[in-house]
Amino acid sequence: MEVSLRVKRFDPSVDVAPHYERYDVPSREGMTVLDALIYVKDRLDHGLAVRFSCRMASCGSCGMKVNGKPRLACETQLGDLGPGAATVEPMDNFPVVRDLVVDLESFFSRHTSLSPRLLRKRDEAEQESPSGEYLMFPAELESMVQFTYCIKCGLCSSSCPTASTDGSFPGPQALAQAYRYLADPRDEGGKERVEAVDTAHGVWRCHFAGTCSAVCPKGVDPALGIQLLKRHVMAATSPLSRKKGEKTGAEVFKNPNAGLVG
Amino acid sequence: MRESSLMRLQYVTAVAAIVLVSLHLLMQGVLVPYGEAVSFQRVLSVYRSAVDAALLEVLLLVVLAHGFNGLRIILLEWRQEAAWTRGVNWGVLVVTLALMGYGTRTVILAATGQVT
Repeated sequence: MEVSLRVKRFDPSVDVAPHYERYDVPSREGMTVLDALIYVKDRLDHGLAVRFSCRMASCGSCGMKVNGKPRLACETQLGDLGPGAATVEPMDNFPVVRDLVVDLESFFSRHTSLSPRLLRKRDEAEQESPSGEYLMFPAELESMVQFTYCIKCGLCSSSCPTASTDGSFPGPQALAQAYRYLADPRDEGGKERVEAVDTAHGVWRCHFAGTCSAVCPKGVDPALGIQLLKRHVMAATSPLSRKKGEKTGAEVFKNPNAGLVG
Repeated sequence: MRESSLMRLQYVTAVAAIVLVSLHLLMQGVLVPYGEAVSFQRVLSVYRSAVDAALLEVLLLVVLAHGFNGLRIILLEWRQEAAWTRGVNWGVLVVTLALMGYGTRTVILAATGQVT
Protein backbone atom coordinates (compact mmCIF):
# COMPACT_ATOMS: atom_id res chain seq x y z
CA MET A 1 0.00 0.00 0.00
CA GLU A 2 1.23 3.49 -0.80
CA VAL A 3 0.63 6.84 0.81
CA SER A 4 0.93 10.17 -0.93
CA LEU A 5 2.85 13.11 0.45
CA ARG A 6 2.26 16.64 -0.83
CA VAL A 7 5.40 18.51 0.13
CA LYS A 8 5.77 22.26 -0.10
CA ARG A 9 9.02 23.02 -1.91
CA PHE A 10 10.78 26.37 -1.94
CA ASP A 11 14.37 27.36 -2.48
CA PRO A 12 14.62 31.15 -1.97
CA SER A 13 17.85 31.29 -3.99
CA VAL A 14 16.18 29.82 -7.10
CA ASP A 15 12.39 29.83 -6.84
CA VAL A 16 10.14 32.84 -7.24
CA ALA A 17 7.30 31.21 -5.31
CA PRO A 18 6.72 27.98 -3.39
CA HIS A 19 5.13 24.99 -5.10
CA TYR A 20 3.93 21.53 -4.05
CA GLU A 21 5.34 18.22 -5.19
CA ARG A 22 3.65 14.87 -4.74
CA TYR A 23 5.50 11.71 -3.75
CA ASP A 24 4.08 8.20 -3.41
CA VAL A 25 5.72 6.28 -0.59
CA PRO A 26 5.24 2.57 0.28
CA SER A 27 3.74 2.58 3.76
CA ARG A 28 4.01 0.21 6.68
CA GLU A 29 2.35 0.06 10.05
CA GLY A 30 3.68 2.69 12.45
CA MET A 31 5.38 4.67 9.68
CA THR A 32 5.85 8.31 10.63
CA VAL A 33 5.85 11.39 8.43
CA LEU A 34 9.59 11.67 9.06
CA ASP A 35 10.11 8.06 7.91
CA ALA A 36 8.25 8.92 4.72
CA LEU A 37 10.28 12.10 4.17
CA ILE A 38 13.52 10.18 4.70
CA TYR A 39 12.32 7.62 2.13
CA VAL A 40 11.60 10.44 -0.33
CA LYS A 41 15.05 11.94 0.26
CA ASP A 42 16.81 8.56 -0.07
CA ARG A 43 14.91 7.12 -3.03
CA LEU A 44 12.88 9.73 -4.87
CA ASP A 45 14.33 13.23 -4.53
CA HIS A 46 17.74 13.80 -2.96
CA GLY A 47 17.21 17.56 -3.13
CA LEU A 48 14.47 17.64 -0.51
CA ALA A 49 15.62 19.64 2.52
CA VAL A 50 14.39 18.36 5.88
CA ARG A 51 15.94 18.75 9.35
CA PHE A 52 15.85 15.91 11.84
CA SER A 53 18.03 14.27 14.45
CA CYS A 54 16.85 12.01 17.29
CA ARG A 55 13.69 10.55 15.63
CA MET A 56 12.12 10.15 19.10
CA ALA A 57 10.53 13.54 19.92
CA SER A 58 13.41 14.57 22.15
CA CYS A 59 15.48 17.00 20.09
CA GLY A 60 12.74 19.16 18.56
CA SER A 61 14.46 19.36 15.16
CA CYS A 62 11.72 18.06 12.86
CA GLY A 63 8.96 20.59 13.58
CA MET A 64 6.75 21.18 10.53
CA LYS A 65 3.13 21.59 9.50
CA VAL A 66 1.37 18.32 8.71
CA ASN A 67 -2.13 18.70 7.29
CA GLY A 68 -2.14 22.29 8.49
CA LYS A 69 -1.19 21.58 12.10
CA PRO A 70 2.28 22.18 13.58
CA ARG A 71 3.68 18.80 14.68
CA LEU A 72 6.90 16.86 15.10
CA ALA A 73 7.25 14.72 11.97
CA CYS A 74 8.97 11.97 13.97
CA GLU A 75 6.00 11.32 16.24
CA THR A 76 3.22 11.83 13.70
CA GLN A 77 2.15 8.52 12.23
CA LEU A 78 0.76 8.48 8.71
CA GLY A 79 -1.94 6.08 9.84
CA ASP A 80 -3.32 8.68 12.22
CA LEU A 81 -3.77 11.31 9.52
CA GLY A 82 -6.77 9.74 7.85
CA PRO A 83 -7.30 8.98 4.16
CA GLY A 84 -5.88 11.09 1.35
CA ALA A 85 -2.53 12.69 0.78
CA ALA A 86 -0.67 14.11 3.76
CA THR A 87 0.32 17.72 3.15
CA VAL A 88 3.68 18.66 4.65
CA GLU A 89 4.78 22.29 4.90
CA PRO A 90 7.40 24.29 6.81
CA MET A 91 6.41 25.93 10.09
CA ASP A 92 4.72 29.34 9.92
CA ASN A 93 6.17 32.52 11.47
CA PHE A 94 9.76 31.64 10.52
CA PRO A 95 11.71 32.44 7.34
CA VAL A 96 12.17 29.41 5.12
CA VAL A 97 15.78 28.38 4.53
CA ARG A 98 14.74 25.71 2.04
CA ASP A 99 11.75 23.36 1.65
CA LEU A 100 10.85 22.17 5.17
CA VAL A 101 13.80 23.79 6.94
CA VAL A 102 13.13 27.11 8.66
CA ASP A 103 15.51 29.62 10.21
CA LEU A 104 15.19 29.40 14.01
CA GLU A 105 17.78 32.09 14.74
CA SER A 106 15.19 34.66 15.93
CA PHE A 107 13.48 31.98 18.02
CA PHE A 108 16.67 31.10 19.90
CA SER A 109 17.70 34.77 20.29
CA ARG A 110 14.37 35.52 21.98
CA HIS A 111 14.85 32.52 24.24
CA THR A 112 18.37 33.69 25.15
CA SER A 113 17.30 37.32 25.64
CA LEU A 114 15.18 36.31 28.65
CA SER A 115 18.17 34.75 30.49
CA PRO A 116 17.08 31.10 30.55
CA ARG A 117 19.33 30.12 33.46
CA LEU A 118 19.39 30.52 37.23
CA LEU A 119 20.56 33.98 38.23
CA ARG A 120 22.20 34.15 41.65
CA LYS A 121 23.40 37.48 42.98
CA ARG A 122 24.95 36.65 46.31
CA ASP A 123 27.24 33.80 45.47
CA GLU A 124 28.84 34.10 42.05
CA ALA A 125 31.94 32.21 43.22
CA GLU A 126 29.71 29.42 44.50
CA GLN A 127 28.07 29.23 41.08
CA GLU A 128 31.43 28.71 39.46
CA SER A 129 32.42 25.99 41.91
CA PRO A 130 29.38 24.52 43.72
CA SER A 131 29.96 22.96 47.11
CA GLY A 132 26.45 21.56 47.62
CA GLU A 133 22.97 21.33 46.19
CA TYR A 134 20.12 23.82 46.05
CA LEU A 135 17.00 22.30 47.53
CA MET A 136 13.35 23.07 46.87
CA PHE A 137 10.06 21.75 48.19
CA PRO A 138 8.12 19.29 45.99
CA ALA A 139 5.31 21.86 45.68
CA GLU A 140 7.77 24.41 44.35
CA LEU A 141 9.02 21.95 41.77
CA GLU A 142 5.42 21.15 40.80
CA SER A 143 4.73 24.84 40.14
CA MET A 144 7.15 24.98 37.24
CA VAL A 145 8.43 21.50 36.35
CA GLN A 146 6.26 21.13 33.23
CA PHE A 147 8.01 24.12 31.65
CA THR A 148 11.37 22.36 32.00
CA TYR A 149 10.10 19.74 29.53
CA CYS A 150 10.29 22.25 26.65
CA ILE A 151 12.47 20.92 23.79
CA LYS A 152 12.56 24.24 21.88
CA CYS A 153 11.04 22.80 18.72
CA GLY A 154 9.33 26.10 17.85
CA LEU A 155 5.88 24.60 17.21
CA CYS A 156 4.27 26.89 19.81
CA SER A 157 5.71 30.03 18.27
CA SER A 158 4.77 28.89 14.77
CA SER A 159 1.14 28.54 15.83
CA CYS A 160 0.94 31.79 17.82
CA PRO A 161 -1.29 34.45 16.21
CA THR A 162 0.48 37.27 18.07
CA ALA A 163 3.90 36.06 16.91
CA SER A 164 2.62 36.16 13.32
CA THR A 165 1.68 39.86 13.56
CA ASP A 166 4.12 41.25 16.13
CA GLY A 167 7.72 40.49 15.22
CA SER A 168 8.94 41.89 18.55
CA PHE A 169 6.78 39.56 20.65
CA PRO A 170 9.05 37.06 22.47
CA GLY A 171 6.65 34.19 21.74
CA PRO A 172 5.16 31.52 23.99
CA GLN A 173 8.32 29.46 24.36
CA ALA A 174 10.49 32.30 25.66
CA LEU A 175 7.74 33.67 27.92
CA ALA A 176 6.99 30.26 29.41
CA GLN A 177 10.71 29.87 30.12
CA ALA A 178 10.76 33.32 31.75
CA TYR A 179 8.03 32.07 34.09
CA ARG A 180 9.88 28.80 34.65
CA TYR A 181 12.86 30.71 36.11
CA LEU A 182 10.75 33.31 37.95
CA ALA A 183 8.91 30.48 39.68
CA ASP A 184 12.13 28.71 40.60
CA PRO A 185 12.82 29.44 44.29
CA ARG A 186 16.55 29.20 43.66
CA ASP A 187 16.48 32.09 41.18
CA GLU A 188 17.27 35.66 42.24
CA GLY A 189 16.81 37.43 38.91
CA GLY A 190 13.19 38.45 39.49
CA LYS A 191 13.67 42.15 38.87
CA GLU A 192 15.60 41.67 35.61
CA ARG A 193 13.12 39.09 34.36
CA VAL A 194 10.12 41.28 35.14
CA GLU A 195 11.69 44.26 33.38
CA ALA A 196 12.49 42.14 30.32
CA VAL A 197 8.89 41.01 29.78
CA ASP A 198 6.99 44.06 31.08
CA THR A 199 7.31 46.01 27.81
CA ALA A 200 5.07 47.29 25.03
CA HIS A 201 5.73 44.13 22.98
CA GLY A 202 6.22 41.77 25.92
CA VAL A 203 4.06 39.43 27.96
CA TRP A 204 0.92 41.62 27.77
CA ARG A 205 0.57 41.10 24.05
CA CYS A 206 -0.49 37.46 24.59
CA HIS A 207 -4.25 37.28 23.99
CA PHE A 208 -4.57 33.76 25.33
CA ALA A 209 -5.52 32.13 22.03
CA GLY A 210 -4.06 28.93 23.51
CA THR A 211 -2.78 27.50 20.21
CA CYS A 212 0.71 27.14 21.72
CA SER A 213 -0.58 24.69 24.33
CA ALA A 214 -2.70 22.85 21.77
CA VAL A 215 0.29 22.00 19.56
CA CYS A 216 3.04 21.35 22.14
CA PRO A 217 4.34 17.81 21.52
CA LYS A 218 5.58 17.48 25.11
CA GLY A 219 2.31 18.39 26.80
CA VAL A 220 3.67 21.68 28.13
CA ASP A 221 1.08 24.44 28.61
CA PRO A 222 2.88 27.66 27.59
CA ALA A 223 -0.42 29.60 27.63
CA LEU A 224 -0.75 28.78 31.33
CA GLY A 225 2.87 29.81 31.91
CA ILE A 226 2.22 33.17 30.26
CA GLN A 227 -0.89 33.82 32.37
CA LEU A 228 1.07 32.92 35.52
CA LEU A 229 3.84 35.21 34.32
CA LYS A 230 1.33 38.05 33.95
CA ARG A 231 0.13 37.43 37.50
CA HIS A 232 3.71 37.46 38.75
CA VAL A 233 4.51 40.72 36.91
CA MET A 234 1.33 42.32 38.28
CA ALA A 235 2.28 41.31 41.81
CA ALA A 236 5.89 42.40 41.41
CA THR A 237 4.99 45.83 40.00
CA SER A 238 1.96 46.52 42.19
CA PRO A 239 2.09 49.83 44.07
CA LEU A 240 1.01 47.78 47.09
CA SER A 241 3.99 45.44 46.75
CA ARG A 242 6.38 45.62 49.69
CA LYS A 243 9.49 45.39 47.55
CA LYS A 244 8.47 46.73 44.17
CA GLY A 245 9.79 44.56 41.34
CA GLU A 246 12.44 42.94 43.46
CA LYS A 247 10.82 39.73 44.60
CA THR A 248 12.92 36.63 44.24
CA GLY A 249 11.39 33.27 43.52
CA ALA A 250 12.04 32.31 47.14
CA GLU A 251 10.05 35.31 48.36
CA VAL A 252 7.18 34.80 45.97
CA PHE A 253 6.84 31.15 46.87
CA LYS A 254 7.61 31.74 50.55
CA ASN A 255 10.42 29.24 50.83
CA PRO A 256 13.04 30.57 53.21
CA ASN A 257 15.09 27.42 52.73
CA ALA A 258 15.68 27.89 49.02
CA GLY A 259 19.39 28.08 48.59
CA LEU A 260 22.56 26.21 49.11
CA VAL A 261 22.54 23.16 51.33
CA GLY A 262 26.00 21.71 51.72
CA MET B 1 4.63 54.35 32.44
CA ARG B 2 5.20 50.63 32.72
CA GLU B 3 3.15 48.40 30.46
CA SER B 4 1.88 46.53 33.53
CA SER B 5 0.48 49.79 34.93
CA LEU B 6 -1.39 50.44 31.68
CA MET B 7 -2.73 46.88 31.68
CA ARG B 8 -3.78 47.24 35.32
CA LEU B 9 -5.68 50.37 34.23
CA GLN B 10 -7.20 48.37 31.36
CA TYR B 11 -8.48 45.61 33.67
CA VAL B 12 -9.79 48.01 36.33
CA THR B 13 -11.61 50.17 33.76
CA ALA B 14 -13.07 47.05 32.10
CA VAL B 15 -14.69 45.95 35.35
CA ALA B 16 -15.72 49.52 36.21
CA ALA B 17 -17.25 50.00 32.74
CA ILE B 18 -19.40 46.88 33.13
CA VAL B 19 -20.70 48.12 36.48
CA LEU B 20 -21.19 51.73 35.39
CA VAL B 21 -22.80 50.97 32.02
CA SER B 22 -25.16 48.48 33.71
CA LEU B 23 -26.05 51.07 36.31
CA HIS B 24 -26.55 53.73 33.65
CA LEU B 25 -28.78 51.50 31.53
CA LEU B 26 -30.74 50.48 34.60
CA MET B 27 -31.30 54.08 35.71
CA GLN B 28 -31.94 55.63 32.31
CA GLY B 29 -33.22 52.82 30.13
CA VAL B 30 -35.07 50.36 32.32
CA LEU B 31 -36.57 52.32 35.20
CA VAL B 32 -37.70 55.09 32.82
CA PRO B 33 -39.72 54.32 29.65
CA TYR B 34 -37.38 54.41 26.61
CA GLY B 35 -39.17 57.17 24.69
CA GLU B 36 -39.14 59.39 27.75
CA ALA B 37 -35.54 58.57 28.69
CA VAL B 38 -34.07 59.99 25.48
CA SER B 39 -36.20 63.12 25.25
CA PHE B 40 -34.11 66.30 25.29
CA GLN B 41 -35.54 67.78 28.49
CA ARG B 42 -35.31 64.48 30.35
CA VAL B 43 -31.61 64.12 29.35
CA LEU B 44 -30.92 67.65 30.56
CA SER B 45 -32.61 66.90 33.85
CA VAL B 46 -30.33 63.91 34.31
CA TYR B 47 -27.26 66.13 33.93
CA ARG B 48 -28.66 68.54 36.51
CA SER B 49 -28.75 65.86 39.17
CA ALA B 50 -25.35 65.92 40.91
CA VAL B 51 -25.29 62.14 41.41
CA ASP B 52 -26.27 61.37 37.80
CA ALA B 53 -23.83 63.94 36.41
CA ALA B 54 -21.01 62.48 38.53
CA LEU B 55 -21.90 58.99 37.30
CA LEU B 56 -21.86 60.19 33.67
CA GLU B 57 -18.50 61.89 34.18
CA VAL B 58 -16.92 58.78 35.71
CA LEU B 59 -18.46 56.65 32.94
CA LEU B 60 -16.97 59.00 30.33
CA LEU B 61 -13.49 58.80 31.85
CA VAL B 62 -13.61 55.02 32.32
CA VAL B 63 -14.89 54.21 28.83
CA LEU B 64 -12.47 56.61 27.12
CA ALA B 65 -9.48 55.27 29.08
CA HIS B 66 -10.44 51.66 28.36
CA GLY B 67 -11.34 52.16 24.70
CA PHE B 68 -8.32 54.20 23.74
CA ASN B 69 -5.89 52.00 25.67
CA GLY B 70 -7.37 49.06 23.74
CA LEU B 71 -6.84 50.95 20.49
CA ARG B 72 -3.24 51.64 21.55
CA ILE B 73 -2.66 47.91 22.07
CA ILE B 74 -4.06 47.08 18.61
CA LEU B 75 -1.88 49.75 16.99
CA LEU B 76 1.23 48.52 18.83
CA GLU B 77 0.75 45.04 17.37
CA TRP B 78 0.32 46.47 13.89
CA ARG B 79 3.89 47.74 13.60
CA GLN B 80 6.93 47.35 15.81
CA GLU B 81 9.34 50.23 15.14
CA ALA B 82 10.40 52.16 18.26
CA ALA B 83 9.24 55.45 16.69
CA TRP B 84 5.80 53.96 15.96
CA THR B 85 5.51 52.62 19.52
CA ARG B 86 6.47 56.01 20.97
CA GLY B 87 4.17 57.89 18.57
CA VAL B 88 1.20 55.63 19.29
CA ASN B 89 1.69 55.91 23.07
CA TRP B 90 1.85 59.72 23.00
CA GLY B 91 -0.76 60.16 20.26
CA VAL B 92 -3.33 58.04 22.05
CA LEU B 93 -2.62 59.82 25.34
CA VAL B 94 -3.18 63.25 23.74
CA VAL B 95 -6.41 62.22 21.95
CA THR B 96 -7.75 60.53 25.10
CA LEU B 97 -7.05 63.56 27.28
CA ALA B 98 -8.53 65.91 24.66
CA LEU B 99 -11.75 63.88 24.45
CA MET B 100 -11.91 63.60 28.25
CA GLY B 101 -11.60 67.39 28.43
CA TYR B 102 -14.25 67.97 25.77
CA GLY B 103 -16.66 65.46 27.36
CA THR B 104 -16.10 66.90 30.83
CA ARG B 105 -16.84 70.37 29.45
CA THR B 106 -20.15 69.08 28.07
CA VAL B 107 -21.07 67.51 31.43
CA ILE B 108 -20.20 70.71 33.29
CA LEU B 109 -22.15 72.94 30.87
CA ALA B 110 -25.21 70.72 31.07
CA ALA B 111 -24.98 70.27 34.83
CA THR B 112 -24.68 74.01 35.49
CA GLY B 113 -27.67 74.89 33.34
CA GLN B 114 -25.70 76.50 30.53
CA VAL B 115 -27.41 74.25 28.00
CA THR B 116 -31.14 74.77 27.71
